[in-house]
Amino acid sequence: MEKEVDGILVAAHELKAPLAVLRQLALAFDEMDDRGEHIRSEMLSVSERAIRQVNDLTKVRRLEDGLFQMGPVSVRAVCDAVSHELNYLYGCNKKELSKSYRNKSKLVTANWDLLYSVIYNFLLNAMHYSDVNAIAELTVRDAKDTVKIEVRDYGPELPIDVWREMRRGWIEKPTSIAMRPGSSGLGLFIASRFSKYMNAQIGAVRHRNGTSFYVELPISRQASLF
Amino acid sequence: MIFVVDDDEIMAECVAKAAGCEVRIFTNAIEAMNEIADGIMPEMIFLDILLVGPDGFTFLNEMVSYTDTAKIPVVIVSSLDFAGRDLSGYGVVGVLNKEKMRPKDIRGYVGKYAK
Repeated sequence: MEKEVDGILVAAHELKAPLAVLRQLALAFDEMDDRGEHIRSEMLSVSERAIRQVNDLTKVRRLEDGLFQMGPVSVRAVCDAVSHELNYLYGCNKKELSKSYRNKSKLVTANWDLLYSVIYNFLLNAMHYSDVNAIAELTVRDAKDTVKIEVRDYGPELPIDVWREMRRGWIEKPTSIAMRPGSSGLGLFIASRFSKYMNAQIGAVRHRNGTSFYVELPISRQASLF
Repeated sequence: MIFVVDDDEIMAECVAKAAGCEVRIFTNAIEAMNEIADGIMPEMIFLDILLVGPDGFTFLNEMVSYTDTAKIPVVIVSSLDFAGRDLSGYGVVGVLNKEKMRPKDIRGYVGKYAK
């Protein structure tokens, strides 16, 4: 088992190296016409997305070791950090990201890194599948004993079989999903694994003109101490 | 002059281009150490850690073993996570993550440590 884990870590590093180079090349473009700028944005977007997913896959493998500590986490701080990181990519892809915080409960029980990845994957999906100039909406609201973080996109409808898997809160394998065009559903697979680890519930709501993905996290009882 | 030590030549060239000054690229630590032993002292070094042959830390150990080379500022450029680790004992003045760094980060160190 240990050798297998080592192998995955090595593979992850091997996969990251060319992606990091690809990203640097994209950044090194200095003489560009409009088309050059578009290609550069795509290279940057693809490489940053892939690097993060490789990192997340490594974390999925490490979930079994229980190395990710749970504790009170500020939902707003995580959402702000993720949206700050993604603002650049949203701009490059001519998409917009809006945020709305309607929650009174500030802290949830979670792991910062895992929650960051869940929200990141939702927002990246929203960016990828939203129509050009569409707005992806990140909303945080209270829901009984939980805080619900929801990402609404305006793109193709989510296939019914994926929606059923999301309703179950568990996606078996990334490759088993007939996801929306151009995706293996890896981001949702990662989000489902991380959510389960954090005792959070993920799900999706189908709309005529897009999808809302959400994760519900238990409110941190330590919040009452403050 | 600046040294860039990275076994990935394309990455090394990206760093060199971003530095925007006279740069020597080495794809392994031994070549870089030999050059320094021949008396060519860089103003600073951008160093990868996972190298073919002796790794970056072997190189750093050599560097801090001699008073003249111990003073050369080194910036680690790696995909490994060094968050929270104090590497100043190795003469390391900064760490850049290959997955996140931008050309301006490299220029920032060049502006600070190279003339």
